[in-house]
Amino acid sequence: MSIHASGIVKTFGQYTALAGVDFHAPSGKLVALLGPSGSGKTTLLRILAGLEFADPGSGRVLFNNEDVTSVPAGKRGVGFVFQHYALFRHMTVFDNVAFGLRVRSRRERPSDAKITERVRELLRLVQLDGLEKRFPTQLSGGQRQRVALARALAVEPKVLLLDEPFGALDAKVRKDLRRWLRKFHDEIHITTVFVTHDQEEALEIADEVVIMNQAKVEQVGTPQDVYDRPATPFVHRFLGNVNILRDTSAWGRTGPIHDNGRLGSDGLIYVRPHDIEVVPHGSDSQGIPAVLRYIHAAGPQAQLTFEVIATGEHVEAHITRSGLAELNLKPNDLALLKLRPSHSFQDYTI
Amino acid sequence: MASATASLSTHRERGTGHARRATQDAPWVKWTLLTIALLFVGFFLVMPLAAVFTEAFRRGAGAYFAAFSDADALAAIKLTLITAAIAVPANLVFGVAASWAIAKFNFRGKSLLITLIDLPFAVSPVISGLIYVLVFGAQGWYGQYLNADEPWFPWLQQWLIEQDFRIIFAVPGIVLATIFVTFPFVARELIPLMQSQGTDEEMAAITLGASGWQTFWRVTLPNIKWGLFYGVILCNARAMGEFGAVSVVSGHIRGETNTMPLHVEILYNEYNFVAAFAVASLLALLALVTLALKSLVEWRHTQSLRSENSES
Repeated sequence: MSIHASGIVKTFGQYTALAGVDFHAPSGKLVALLGPSGSGKTTLLRILAGLEFADPGSGRVLFNNEDVTSVPAGKRGVGFVFQHYALFRHMTVFDNVAFGLRVRSRRERPSDAKITERVRELLRLVQLDGLEKRFPTQLSGGQRQRVALARALAVEPKVLLLDEPFGALDAKVRKDLRRWLRKFHDEIHITTVFVTHDQEEALEIADEVVIMNQAKVEQVGTPQDVYDRPATPFVHRFLGNVNILRDTSAWGRTGPIHDNGRLGSDGLIYVRPHDIEVVPHGSDSQGIPAVLRYIHAAGPQAQLTFEVIATGEHVEAHITRSGLAELNLKPNDLALLKLRPSHSFQDYTI
Repeated sequence: MASATASLSTHRERGTGHARRATQDAPWVKWTLLTIALLFVGFFLVMPLAAVFTEAFRRGAGAYFAAFSDADALAAIKLTLITAAIAVPANLVFGVAASWAIAKFNFRGKSLLITLIDLPFAVSPVISGLIYVLVFGAQGWYGQYLNADEPWFPWLQQWLIEQDFRIIFAVPGIVLATIFVTFPFVARELIPLMQSQGTDEEMAAITLGASGWQTFWRVTLPNIKWGLFYGVILCNARAMGEFGAVSVVSGHIRGETNTMPLHVEILYNEYNFVAAFAVASLLALLALVTLALKSLVEWRHTQSLRSENSES
């Protein structure tokens, strides 16, 4: 089931949450809606779910070319997982998962035996078998998340929508669970859209990333696309660390400034810290002289902060720790900075 | 390492045993405050309560129970029960509807509605009674309607006159005044509870295909049941005990429009102390039962909250 939304506008009083947004999720893919808070991503997800309706006359939502713009949530056949799971706190895990089947009209409701069978099967699928009798309060965050997922899947939805699915978990569980979700998605192949503000999360597990900012879509593409070739200054800034450099001509002499969309539409150069090359002072004529101010080497790579002598700009460079050892730099040492030629997809046009 | 922490903790225990903590007040402060509080409670609460029961049993258990075999007393008890049986469910339905509307929806005039719900707390009960006399009394709008030559809905006027349907100085007025006075209890209890619970679970139920009714009965109601029960207990206690507003609209007709509190007053004014205190003891008993239920509900409620928090 593919999802198509076009020209979606949503206003709350004076506030515009979505200003004409187009969205497409191909059938069976895992799509991330990525953006800072207030960018409208959750509103878009809720409109896809039918929990909100777009402003009258503004746009349409299609599920497999079927217009569902004014179909309410209960009839859209979507599975929705809420940010804080919204598990029914007075029901056991079993009853939570069975809820969607039990509220069906008598004609469509499966028999009790069928419901039991289906619930057990789902709980096995999310690896929670044996916890049927627990209440939500007796579960860990990750377990609650999976109950919410099983509950949403019980009604055999055509699409699965997840609002900040890992937002309320601690870092370790978060990482495990998102890999689990990716694997899980590979098994069940249901069109899935999830909202997140964490770029790492989106880039790691999504097939396609939709980046939103200020009620608009900034860029759509595969994780590699959007990371390597950010379309707008916002995407540059939002996806990982970036150095913003003013002096286009000086930096232009040190390396390619047009690679990977480095030169933004605002006339500034956007370069990721690992695309800054550090060479010893005096070794090369073309580098920009800078003083090393801080070293932060507690991690897989060394993070160096330089102050450019000519302009006073601060530039961050990430190099390997062995590279740092070779350079033998200490704070307040001089070095030369260069733009690293881009190493990926140079023959590939956007 | 383990032995080091162990010795540290025993040291700390020993420390608190002798010296008080820096943030604690001196013992005399604690004891003075406790004494004042206990004296106050004893003087204003325990003593009057004890007095009610001693006075009621002054002439022995026989006289005490004789007070309840009196036809007027029985009528008063019956009327009180009827009034509560109407007022409490009415405010239960209203309270749930109003707090649902306030907690789950945004609309214009929401804060006005919240303020209006509190109005009966702010108005003196006597004034509330008086309002109903002015509206429904013989000189009020209702009286004018009955006497009008060309009324709206003539069949209604006809029917009301045939039935001799009176509001003031009759049971309907007592019920109305009681509903007004006990109006806020359920809603006040539920609004903060429902607001803190938010609408996520209801929305989840809807995405799973549940209808509005199913969502209410299966999700919302189970979540608010303790708060609702608590509100109903308080509402019931007030409905049975209300004096001021009911006194104004009742007309004090013995055996017909006397509720228990009004009956107590009449008996007392007739120097029939044993009977007065006997009926009063029933009301006091009701208060004690209410308090016991209230503590039980609060205890259950905090238990369920605690189990929620400890695991999250």
